[in-house]
Amino acid sequence: MAIVGENGAGKTTLVRHANGLLKPTKGTVLVDGVDTRETTTATLSRKVGIAFQNPDHQLFSDSVENEVSFALRNFGFPQELISKRLDWALNFFGLEQYRKSSPLVLSGGEKKRLTLACILAWDPEVVVLDEPTVGQDSLQKEKLAQVFRMLQSTGKTIVIVSHDVEFLWPIQPRLLVMSGGKLVADGEISRIMEDRELLEGARVTQPQLLRLYSGLKSRPASPFLDVADARTWVGRGAG
Amino acid sequence: MYWLSGGFVFRRVVSPFHRLDPRVKLLVSIEFFVLSLLVPTVPAIALILFAILLVSAVAKSLRRIGRTIAFSGFFAAFIFAVNFLFGLGLFNAILYSFRFLAIISSTSLFFVTTSPDELEQIMKWMRVPRDVVFAFVTAVRFIPVVMLDAFQIMDAQKSRGLEFEKGNVVKRVRNMVPILIPLVVNSVIRSGELAEAMESRAYGSTPKPTSLYVMRMRWYDVAVALAGLLLLFVLTLYIYHFVSFGV
Repeated sequence: MAIVGENGAGKTTLVRHANGLLKPTKGTVLVDGVDTRETTTATLSRKVGIAFQNPDHQLFSDSVENEVSFALRNFGFPQELISKRLDWALNFFGLEQYRKSSPLVLSGGEKKRLTLACILAWDPEVVVLDEPTVGQDSLQKEKLAQVFRMLQSTGKTIVIVSHDVEFLWPIQPRLLVMSGGKLVADGEISRIMEDRELLEGARVTQPQLLRLYSGLKSRPASPFLDVADARTWVGRGAG
Repeated sequence: MYWLSGGFVFRRVVSPFHRLDPRVKLLVSIEFFVLSLLVPTVPAIALILFAILLVSAVAKSLRRIGRTIAFSGFFAAFIFAVNFLFGLGLFNAILYSFRFLAIISSTSLFFVTTSPDELEQIMKWMRVPRDVVFAFVTAVRFIPVVMLDAFQIMDAQKSRGLEFEKGNVVKRVRNMVPILIPLVVNSVIRSGELAEAMESRAYGSTPKPTSLYVMRMRWYDVAVALAGLLLLFVLTLYIYHFVSFGV
């Protein structure tokens, strides 16, 4: 699931309710049937892992392995399980060679992956990612997309808060559009992205692949989902 | 915490008090400060506290100064209790705690109504060296930024299962480490970036740079300053001539 909307639309405020960092002043927020006002952020975080936008706002340990196991120790995991989860997370995000290095010497993209590793290490049921693609080059974005597909296949709920429609389009998530603190649309990304008026109101641009698809005279039955698709089709038309 | 920080952080408001020359605002604050140290009776200190609130109302900052008072109310209660318990009498206990509130709120009044730019101008006018002025003003200007950082860091660590309110004193102090390290690291990175940005904008290339804004006293600045000084003078005379000490 992805949440898009203009700056200040309330996306981050909304996801901060998911693990009780913010508590509702009116109404109730239920996470898996539990009222967020009646439990702690630590308890809710066990179920809902939120990775924030800026990695520099959370990295503090002397080594990458301590950074990843920090949350696991907070949640009281047994040592055996910690080392198992740690190995898995470092391996999954390609950070194995930095195990003993300080998190502060990693590059921007590596730090970002480390923060994801920190969250996924404790295997929360819901993973929330606030602007995961900011400051990532195209290769890193492609890797991130792969990670999401892999997580999707394990049956986890993934919530991505993002401005990056080009990144979201190939993943084809369920899309929530927010504007001025309200939810203005909820549905399949392919349908919502056709509604230009709605997109303009929420200051969201159409993905380039969809625009290309709409501009073609002869086109396939469904829009292109990645550049390779589009290239094959257009190449065929030209040939 | 964030709510409280508002009591000492400048906010742009259009009010007659904000429009005053920054030197006059400083003078008014100092006058209140001095007066609250001088007055020896409970009604007088209550009157000064009321006057400060009145000026805050004119400056449309009553709510912010109110926060400061609400926060220092805790310390004022402590001062009251200590003085009262150690036998200084009810009268003195009230006087001292009110005096504390008056001092804090007069200082708060100055910081809430004076922008970092104006602070810079005052310090330059006092011939404080430029680098010192810059360092001071930058520190003041960055307080809200660093606070915001701190809150974001706290949110991130809470989301990783960190519980601040849990455990004994040692554990609680250790709980601060995941907050303080990113905070310091971020501040260091930011100051490095700031230094580079300043250098690329030619900071320090001329020994005496000109200023875009020049402070100028207008008639109402002079009027407020004179009225304030006159009041201070009269009250001081009154206190020393007509009020007997040694209560």
